[in-house]
Amino acid sequence: MRAAVFLALAALSLVGCGEKTPPAPTPEQALLLKPADPRLAGLYETSCKACHATPGTGAPLVQDRAAWDPRWKQGEAMLLDHTIQGFKAMPASGQCATCAPADFQGLIRFMAGREDPA
Amino acid sequence: MISRRGALVAGGTGAAVLAAGGGGYLVATHDKAEPISPPSVNADGKLLWRNWSGIQASYPAARLAPGDEAELARMLRTAASPIRPVGAGHSFTALAPTTGTLVSLDALSGVVGWDGDEAIVLAGTRLGALGAALAAKGRAMANLPDINKQSLAGALATATHGTGSRLQALHGDVTGLRLVTPGGQVIDCDATREADIFQAARVSLGALGVISQVRLKTIPNRRVRRKVWIEPLPDALAQAESRWAQHRNFEFYAVPFTGLAVGISHDETDDPAEARGPDQDTAFLDALKGLRNLLGFSAPLRKAAARALLAGAKPETAVDEGWKLLSTERPVRFNEMEFHLPADVQLKALEEVVAAIEKERPDVFFPIEVRRVAADEAWLSPFQGGERGSVAVHTHYKDDFAFLYELIEPIFRRHGGRPHWGKLHTLRDQQLAGLYPRWDDFLKVRAEMDPQGRMLNPYLKGLFGVV
Repeated sequence: MRAAVFLALAALSLVGCGEKTPPAPTPEQALLLKPADPRLAGLYETSCKACHATPGTGAPLVQDRAAWDPRWKQGEAMLLDHTIQGFKAMPASGQCATCAPADFQGLIRFMAGREDPA
Repeated sequence: MISRRGALVAGGTGAAVLAAGGGGYLVATHDKAEPISPPSVNADGKLLWRNWSGIQASYPAARLAPGDEAELARMLRTAASPIRPVGAGHSFTALAPTTGTLVSLDALSGVVGWDGDEAIVLAGTRLGALGAALAAKGRAMANLPDINKQSLAGALATATHGTGSRLQALHGDVTGLRLVTPGGQVIDCDATREADIFQAARVSLGALGVISQVRLKTIPNRRVRRKVWIEPLPDALAQAESRWAQHRNFEFYAVPFTGLAVGISHDETDDPAEARGPDQDTAFLDALKGLRNLLGFSAPLRKAAARALLAGAKPETAVDEGWKLLSTERPVRFNEMEFHLPADVQLKALEEVVAAIEKERPDVFFPIEVRRVAADEAWLSPFQGGERGSVAVHTHYKDDFAFLYELIEPIFRRHGGRPHWGKLHTLRDQQLAGLYPRWDDFLKVRAEMDPQGRMLNPYLKGLFGVV
C-alpha cells in the first residue's frame, strides 16, 4: 500500500514537472557547442564564448538550462535589454559592436537552450 | 590576481562577518544597484553602444563590419562622420563613442601569413585568439596585458602594455602596418617606408584612419612559471626594483587598507605544466568589498581584519604557456585611471596614492596595480624616451570614480606622469604637447591623413586641440 502511494506521488510529481530539464553540458561539451547559423556562430565565437563556455566566470554556461531557466522566465525582452545595456558582469552588447537585436535574440536563445521556439 | 587564496579569503571573511551578526553579513554582502543605463534604443531607433565598464555610450547612425581591407577602404570613403573604429570597447575614455559610424574589425581576424618569425596579423584579431594562433606555430608575443578580450588594433591604438622592465608595450613588437585612411587610401609603412606615418600610427588612438593589418615580432612559445604571493607593502616597495631586474615579468598590487601587497612574477621554465586551477579573482575582490562594507568606518579595524585573513596565505604557483597565464578574462567590471611615470618616481607616487586613498576614500577596495614597461620610440607612446613605471587605480563599476580626477590625477601629474590613452584622465591639447616631444609631428601627420577630421569625435577634437 505504502509503495503504491509512493509510486502514485512520484508519477504525479513527474507530471507536475512538465518537461524534463536536460542535463548541463560538461565543460568539454560546452567548448564544442556553437549556433547552427554560420553568422551567429561567428558572433558567438568572438563575443560570447569566452565567458559563456567557461565554467567559473559567473556567466551562465551555454545550454545549462538550470542556470538559464530562471533568467528565461524574466522574458526575452528583459534579457535583450540586459544584453544591450550590460548587466552585472555582462558587458554591454557582449562586446559585439555590430550585433543587431535579432543577432542578440538568436544568441540568447542558443545559449539558453531555447533555439526551438516551441 | 590570486586564485585559491581567494576562496580562503572569502571563507575567512564570511566567518568574520557572521561573527558580527546577521546584520553584519547583510552589510558585507550588500550590492549596490546597477548604474542607470541609457535606453537600448534612442528616439531615432538607433541601437545603444556602450563601453565595457558602461560609462561611455552613444547611438551610432551606422555600424560597419567590413569583410576585408578593400571593403573597409570602400566603406570609409562614404561613411558618415565621425568615423570611430571600435574593438572590445575596453577604453574608459571617449575614444569610441560616435553619432556617425562605428567600425568593427571583428571580421578582419586571424594570422594570415609569416615573414620569418614575424606574423602578419589582421588588426581585428582579439588577443586571446591571437595567442592561440601564434602558439599553433610555436610562437608567442613577448608580452601581454591583463585582459585578453581587446582587439589587436585597439590595444595598439591605446599603447596597451604588460609588465617587465625589458619588455616593451605591444606596439613595440610592430615592425610594419597597413593604414587605411578615411579617403580610402591604403598605406603600407614600416621603419624605412613612410617612416613618419609608421611612428605616428603605431600609437594613434584610431585617429589617422583604420589599421587593417600589422606585422608583429614574435618569440618562441615557452612555458612560464607563475608565482603569486602576499607580503607587507613595505617589503614589496623595498624589493620592487630588484624584482623587475630579476624576473621576465613582474608586477605587484598594493592592497589599500590592508598594509599588504600581492606580488606576481612570470619566468620561463622547462618544467612540466602545473594547472593554475579555477580563477578566484572574483572571490578575492568580493572579500575586499565585504571588508570595505563591514569595516569601512574604521581603517585600523579593516586593516587588522584584512591582515588576519590574508597575511598568512601560502604562495601559489602554476606553469603553462605564457599566453595562457599572462592574459585572462576579467569578470568583474571596473573603471580605471593609469598613468605612466618616470621609473625613478614610480614608487614614491604609489606611496602618495595609497596614503591619499587611505586618508580620503574608505570606499575604495580594488588593489592598485604597479607595473614596469621598457622604452620605445612611437611618437605618442607613453613609454617614448625612457622606461616608465605604471600605477593604476581601479574602482568597481558601481562605485564613484570622480575622485580619480580630483585626488589621484594631481599626484600623477606632479610626478610627470603620462596618461594611458584608454584610461581615465583629463589632459588635453597643450598639456599633452608638454609631455610628448613629437606631439606637433603627430598632429601634422594626422592632418595629412585626415584633413577633414572625419575620424575625430568631440573627445578627440578636444584632445588634439582641433577646432
